Order: sequence, then structure tokens, then C-alpha cells
Amino acid sequence: MSEPFAVELRDVVKQFGDVVAVNHVSLRIRDGEFFSLLGPSGCGKTTTLRMIAGFEIPTHGEIYIHGERQGYRPPNKRPVNTVFQNYALFPHMTVAENIAFGMEMRKIPKDEIKRRVDEALAMVRLSGMANRRPKQLSGGQQQRVALARALVNRPEVLLLDEPLGALDLKLRKAMQIELKALQEEVGITFIYVTHDQEEALTMSDRIAVMNDGIVHQVGDPETIYEHPADRFVADFIGETNFIPVRVVSLAPEIVVELGTGQKVQAGWAEEGLAPGDKAVLSIRPEKMDLLEPKKKPQSPSQEMAYVPGVVTHLVYVGTDTRHTVRLGDGSEVVVRLQNIYVGEEPWEIGEQAVITWNAAHARILKE
Amino acid sequence: MSIETPELAYHERWERIKARFGSWGLTTYGILAFAFLYLPIVILILFSFNESRSVSKWTGFSLRWYGEMLKDDKIMISMWNSIFLAVVSTAIATVLGTLAALGLERYSFRGKTAVDSMFYLPVIIPDIAMAIMLLLFFNMSGIGFTPWKVSLFGVKLAVPYSVIIGHVAFNISFVAIVVRARLAQMDRTLEEAAQDLYANTWQTFRRVTLPMLMPGILGGALLAFTLSLDDFVITFFTSGAGFNTLPVRVFGMIKKGVTPKINALSTLMLAVSLSLVVISILLRTRSGDEESVQMGF
Amino acid sequence: MERLRRNPELQAWLLLAIPAAFLLIFFMAPLVIVFVYSFLERGKYGGVEWVFTLENIRRVFDPLYFKTFVRSFYIAIVTTLITLILGYPLAYYIANSPPSRRNALVFALMIPFWTNFLIRTYAWLTLLRTHTGLINVTLLNWGLIQKPLPLFGNDFAIILGLVYGWLPVMVLPIYAALERLDRSLLEAARDLYASSFYAFRRVTWPLSIPGVVAGSMLVFIPSLGAFVTPAILGGGKSLMIGNIISNQFLGAHDWPFGSALSMVMMIAMLIATLIYFRWTTSSEIAT
Repeated sequence: MSEPFAVELRDVVKQFGDVVAVNHVSLRIRDGEFFSLLGPSGCGKTTTLRMIAGFEIPTHGEIYIHGERQGYRPPNKRPVNTVFQNYALFPHMTVAENIAFGMEMRKIPKDEIKRRVDEALAMVRLSGMANRRPKQLSGGQQQRVALARALVNRPEVLLLDEPLGALDLKLRKAMQIELKALQEEVGITFIYVTHDQEEALTMSDRIAVMNDGIVHQVGDPETIYEHPADRFVADFIGETNFIPVRVVSLAPEIVVELGTGQKVQAGWAEEGLAPGDKAVLSIRPEKMDLLEPKKKPQSPSQEMAYVPGVVTHLVYVGTDTRHTVRLGDGSEVVVRLQNIYVGEEPWEIGEQAVITWNAAHARILKE
Repeated sequence: MSIETPELAYHERWERIKARFGSWGLTTYGILAFAFLYLPIVILILFSFNESRSVSKWTGFSLRWYGEMLKDDKIMISMWNSIFLAVVSTAIATVLGTLAALGLERYSFRGKTAVDSMFYLPVIIPDIAMAIMLLLFFNMSGIGFTPWKVSLFGVKLAVPYSVIIGHVAFNISFVAIVVRARLAQMDRTLEEAAQDLYANTWQTFRRVTLPMLMPGILGGALLAFTLSLDDFVITFFTSGAGFNTLPVRVFGMIKKGVTPKINALSTLMLAVSLSLVVISILLRTRSGDEESVQMGF
Repeated sequence: MERLRRNPELQAWLLLAIPAAFLLIFFMAPLVIVFVYSFLERGKYGGVEWVFTLENIRRVFDPLYFKTFVRSFYIAIVTTLITLILGYPLAYYIANSPPSRRNALVFALMIPFWTNFLIRTYAWLTLLRTHTGLINVTLLNWGLIQKPLPLFGNDFAIILGLVYGWLPVMVLPIYAALERLDRSLLEAARDLYASSFYAFRRVTWPLSIPGVVAGSMLVFIPSLGAFVTPAILGGGKSLMIGNIISNQFLGAHDWPFGSALSMVMMIAMLIATLIYFRWTTSSEIAT
């Protein structure tokens, strides 16, 4: 048997009355990993976190922390600590008292508590603030106290429930970097709940994308972005075109037919599709290019797709320009082109264009 | 720059008059309303210093009636009775009311609506109805009218259990309501955070819930104390014969005739009420609790 | 211990057991006793005979007593209306004061409320009495009136005493509702072409109705069951139900009839409350 996982969820279900918040979720989170639970609000990610912490008991299934079954174990007897969304700092205690609380409960000797509180304060750069009350601190400082209060206990796993949600954009970006650096420094497993895909992509080692209580995909940020497993993941993470198609064949090559009747190849197809099925071709806007019709090669290679259309909309967004192109069947495709070309004529509305992409970037997903 | 049409100027002037008069009128009304609330009390205090027996003709300043009040043993006994009764019933009601608030605010269970209503009823029911209910109950059950005999600073008191029970019965609900309001405002994640930081149920209550709840509990206790000191009707009906609190004494004195001695006694009671209000202000400003100010407790 | 932790219902009952038992014994049981006594015959020397009768209930509706019932209702309704008319603008004034002054005004309102009700009633007694009251004495002295005004021992005195006593209780919930009111709602109404009157009528007033309802109930119920005010300011002539009930226990020793009177009073209160709630909630939707 290999080394046990930091946290393992086996077929976990959580029901609140008739509502199924978490639906047969199984996850294996490795030691030392920065693992994110990503999904829209109400997807069950916070409930999953609260079950690991012990605030909720699964209706069905089991949770293991380092191979140990948690069962009905109360939160105070679990080797995990939580950073709460609103920080949950005790308003009637000072910063130092807040940080010392967990160690006091565990009957750690006074002088050691003092030493570790000082260390923790230094770690989050709040050394001068020990005797302040939480109310006297800024949002970012409160956030760091919450972090210190949890980490000072040296938990096996740190649970973070949208910890940066209350901060403004600039501070959030700074804290993202700080958090990631801190995690690498202490080497503790982080389970991080967020609805912000960018946050999850930049910080995580691996991400679980959740919706309606179901885990749709688990993978590293690149896999999640480049190879979404289904339509929900493709749609939720980043921007994607969904072009309606019909499956022609799946082997040896994946071939689909566009609404216009044109056949194109694709790099990957979701399991469970059969020839003749309706499906969508998913492709990121930045994976495509626009050509003038006359520049289309005479004998195009098989893995390149060339689809003609008309430019209908242009939106300049600084680093690039979003071009909306209407295909022959009326479906619209967004193509993002970086604004790096010098001297080239920009595209104009009403112009004929050919969209081109590499088949490897096209993924066929169920509708 | 712009050309003012006469019509516009008129309109503008009218708007200005309306705005000024509106706020001016409201302020005047506010002053009058507070005058209505305070004037009778001020006059009452004023005539406690009157030289003659009259409470409507000012004849000169004197502390005579305060002296007479202090010499009156019956008043002194009544005062001690009031204090003893208020302290004892507040202590019991605060503990029971806080327990009830925790049970009612934190849990849902079968039959909760019924239990909830039972705790609200004593607040709503008119005191005369509650008084005769208790009177019949103590008469029928045979428990209660026996006095609790204590000696307080050399003063011998005999406070019937029935009165203490009656006061606790209406105070439990008031305490429960105030504490519940505080509990409802409290952030539950603070308790979860404590548990997450290895505190067990008792430690969580002792270290987080109770300190956070304290302003509510003290506020509830203060309200109970005031209500107990002020109560006349329930004491009057449940005490049996011969037991007087200050309000019961005052009522008896009024029935016999109006003298500045009653004014002096009233002023003393007013001073006590006022200091209780001041304590509650201090409590509230210290806990920085804006919400409970609106509750009026 | 482990079972207790997993069973919240058991935890709740553990907390509630003592306070609930206390109220069951010393509040609910007395309530039941009053109900039962209403249907029993009067004993010869106070107390009751355990014989079922509807005579007490019938007597409540005897014109002799029913008249007092109707008058008490009339006094309570008028009191509630006057406190509402006086209290609403006061609450509005406090809610629209600068925040620094607002809390001070609320406390200024609380001080009379925390002051003993009996004393506040007594204060009016010294002002209103017909021949020796401060108001009549002063007016006679100044020669403004020739005969003392009838200020005492009538419904006017009782209503004045009740309004004075319960005004703060009306103001506080209305103030709470107005203070919570989001000012941007009013600005939105003005922005959408409402005059200040219309903004009040369509925004402020409907949103303050919960406060008005709470305040009205807090004034109406104790006014209907008033005992101290009519006992002191009624001058022994103008009585309310509360006084008649107390007479059955202190003077007449007719416990069953006293019980019946208070039962009917409580039921009447309940019905009035329900009607009022129904009426206000439906008019809230209508506006």
C-alpha cells in the first residue's frame, strides 16, 4: 500500500432535507498539495470543506485524514484548521489571544505558546500588532491574523474558505502570491475553496471543478484549462466557443460536421458520444486565427480547419481584440487576436474572413 | 449667466420655505413632545422640596419631607423589601432566561412554536390578568404565601415566596427576549472557529459564546431588575396581607392623601431608575453595541 | 456524552427543562386555573364550589359590566390612536436627527419609560386634581378661569395618563423601523418624480408599518388591561375592566366571576390583535 493521502473523500454525500448539496464525491488530496475546490456559489464546495473540518457530518460516505477515518469526530478533535471566509476572529480577544487560543485549548505550556505566537506574528508580518483588537486592523491584516491563528497549530491540513473574498482586487492579488509562498514555505496541505477561476488557476497544484454537488473534473490548472472534460468545465473556466456540430466518425479520426455541412477534425471527443449524435465543438477564442479568403492555402493539411464567415462585431480590449464572426449557418464564433501586428490592416465589420485552427485544440463535448 | 424667469424664482423660494419650515416644525414638535414627557416629572421633583403640605402651591424650599421619609420605618422596610426582591428574582430570572434563550435560539425541535409562545406570553399578557392568575394559583396550591425570613443589614425582612415566584415568572421572558436578540446577532462562525481550534463544547461556550453574550445577559438582568423594582400590580395581588414594596407603599400613601412625602419618595425612586439607565448606557457604549439601543432595552 | 453531542434535540431540552418547567407550573397552570374557575360557582366565603355553571360568563355580558367593557375598549382605542398621532412624528424627528444626537434622544425617551409607572401616574394626579391640582390652582390664580376645569376623575384623565405612560413604547418600534429605512429608497422615490409627501406616503409609511403595528399592540394591550391609571386618575368614579376584576378579588370575593372577566378580557384582546394584524397586513399590500 502506498502512502496514505492527506485527505481522502470516499463517495461522500451530504443532504440537507431534500437538497443534495454534495453528490457522491470522491477525492484524493496529496500531502503538501495546494488543492482548490472551484465552482459557482451553491455548488457544494463549502459544504465539502465543512465536512472535512467536521462542522457537517456526511449523510453517506467516509472522510479520511492521513488514512484515519473521521466518522463523527468533532471539529476540535480533527488535525485540521480552518481560515473562515469572514475570518471569524474573536472580537473580545486581542490578536495574540486569538492566535494563542488553539494552543491553549491543547494545553501547550505557556512559554511555548508565547514563543509560537511571536513566531506566527513574525511570519505574517504583524509583530507590532499583538495587543490590538481585530476591529482595529485592516481587512488584509485581519486576514493574516486568521491565517496565523490556523497555521500556528501546525495542522496536517489547512482549510481555506474563500479567504480572500472580502478583500479588494489589488490586495487580493498580493495576498494570492503571499499565500502561495507561505504554503510552499510551511509545506502544509492547503484545501482552498474559491469561485474565482483565475485565483484557482494561478495558485493551485490541482483543482477540482464542482457544480451542483458533483465533481466535474480534477486536474492541474493546465489540464483543466486546455483539456476541459465536459461542457461545464469548458464554460466555467475561461472563455470558450461552443459551435453546434454533428458527430460523423470517432475513429480513426474524430470528424464532425458543422451546421454548414463542412466537415472538420477534432483532437478529442468526450466519452459516450456516437456517430450521428449532436454535440458541440469547444475551442478557446485565442486558439484561432483569421485569414483573408484569398490567403487560404490551396491544399490545406488535414489537421487544420478553415471555416469561412463574416466579421460582425469588434471589441477592443487592450491586449487583444475580440472578433465576432458569423458562420454560414448563423452560429457565431469569437476569435481573439493579439494586437501585435504592425502595419497590417485591421479587420472591419462586414468583411469576409476565414477562421482557422488546429484540430488538436478542438474538443467535441456533449451538448 | 442664466436668465431667471420670475416663475422659477418663485418656485425656488417656495421650495426653500418648505424645506426650512419642514425641519423647523419637526424640531419644534420634538421639543414640545419631550417637554410633555419631562414636565410632570420635573414638577414632581420640584414639589418634593416644598415647605408646606401642598403639592400645588410653592411656599419655600425645604428638605423636611426627605427627613420624614427617612424617619418612616414602614418606608424603610418597603425599600429593603424592594431591593431584596429585585436582587433575588433578577438572579433567578437571568439564569433561567439565558438558558431558555440558548435553547430557543440555537435549536429547532418538535413543538418549538408552542414553547416559543409560552415564553412570549408573560410579556404580552396584561399584568392585572397575570396577577389574579397567580393569586388564584397560590391560593389553590397552598404553596407560596409563606414568607422567606431574612435579616439584611440588621433589618428583618419577610418576603413571601409567592411574590418572588411571580416576579421571576414575568422576568424570565424579558431576559430571554433580550438575550435572544443578542444571540441572533452573534456570528455563529466564531463558535465554529473555536471548535476548529480544539475547544470542546464547554470551552467554546465559556470562552467565546458567554463573553460575546455578556452585554445581552447584563442588559436582560438590568431590565429584569428595573421591572421588578417598578412592579406594583403583581406584587400587590400575590403578596397576601402586610407585605409592602416601595410601589405598594406609594399606592397605599396615595390612597390616603397626597403629601410632598410621596414626592420625596418618588424622587428617590426616580434617582434609582436614572442610575440604572446610566449603567445601561455605560454597558452599551462599552460593548459598542448599536443594535440593542434600538431595542429600547 | 457522545450521544448528547449528536442529538441537538436532547441538548435543547436540557437547556429548556428548568425555565420551561418553571413557566409551566407558575404561568401555564395559573392560566388554566383561571379558565377552569370561570365555569365554577362562587363559594360562600370566597373560594369556589366545584359545580359547573355558565352564569359567570353570562354576567360578563350583563349591561352593568358590559358597559365597562365597551368603555375600556373605547379608552384603549383612543389612547392607541393618540399615542400613534403623537408618537409617529416624534419617532420621525428622532430618526431624522443627526446620528450623534440620535442615541441621546433615544435615551431621553427611555428615561421616563424606565421610571416607575405608578410615580408617573402620581405626577399627573398632582397636576390634574380638581381643586388642589397644580393646573386648576394656577389657572384660577391667574384669573384665566372662574371655575376649576373638569380634568380629573373622568375618561380624559385616564386617557391622558395612559398616553403619557405608553408614549415611549409607541415611539421606539416606529423609530427602529424608520432608522432602518434605507435613505436611498427615499432618494430613489424623489428621483422618480415623487413629491416629498408622495415619497412619504408610498415609501416611508409602508415601510414603517411593522413598527406602527408593534407600537400599537404594545400600547393597546396594557391600556385595555389598565389597573393603576384608572385607580388613581379615575378618582374612584371612572373605572375600567381591570378595576372591576380586582374588585372581585379584593372586595367582593367572587373569584369565579373575576376569572370569567379576565378570561373574556384576554380573549377580546386576542381577537382585537388578530383583526388588527389582518387589517394592517392587508392594507400594507393595498398601498
